[in-house]
Amino acid sequence: MSRTFTSDQELIDRLLSNDTEAFEELYRRYWYSLYTYSLKKLHSSNDARQIVKSIFIELWEKRHQWPANFSVSQHLYTSVRRSVVECLNEKLENDDYTELVEKQITEGFSAEALQDARKPVQQRQSAPTASELIRQHTISHEEPKNHALNMASMKWLLQMVAAKLD
Amino acid sequence: MKTEILHRKLERYINGEALPAETRQIQTWLSCTTSEQQLTAAEKMQLEQDILREIQADTAYPLFYPKKEKPWWQKITAMF
Repeated sequence: MSRTFTSDQELIDRLLSNDTEAFEELYRRYWYSLYTYSLKKLHSSNDARQIVKSIFIELWEKRHQWPANFSVSQHLYTSVRRSVVECLNEKLENDDYTELVEKQITEGFSAEALQDARKPVQQRQSAPTASELIRQHTISHEEPKNHALNMASMKWLLQMVAAKLD
Repeated sequence: MKTEILHRKLERYINGEALPAETRQIQTWLSCTTSEQQLTAAEKMQLEQDILREIQADTAYPLFYPKKEKPWWQKITAMF
């Protein structure tokens, strides 16, 4: 991995000229945020893995269709949310998963859980603070050189998750 | 919430027919990230490679756009 930081926009520009290294850099930058988000929502590592895979396949295959002011982080954020909803909907169509969904996912839709979600992160007693979340996800003795990059992707995820949709 | 009710709500949300309250409920659920599940560094690295290999197999991009060997001076400068 290169130690110089390349912006997303620069990587997207390189992606237009079929630069596979730029694609892999974008993948390394964002895959884990997308994976953990999907995993938290669906409680299935296999589904989370499939979602990450399909999002990046789409990013590669539609690389010549993105508009000039394309924001890759915004696109990935929108895609992961849409994919999670679609995956959950597919699970509910299948009777084999209904019980599993009822046990693990539907409690997240309860009034208490949703009220808790509306509170700022710092006010939730059971949840760690934003800075703790970032620290837990980023500091790793095995990968000190990835620290800055992980910090950026985690900050992006936290900002995106906290942001309101249009 | 019962799964049948949730299923109907999700169907409406996907089709763009959800009521404002339903949309808010689903979006609030999507925005809530409380529980933490973490992978070890080794697991993370392995999974990163596995998913990337699956993407490469599906898109076949390494076949169509093989990586060019970097000149020796670029390899050395990347170390610093």
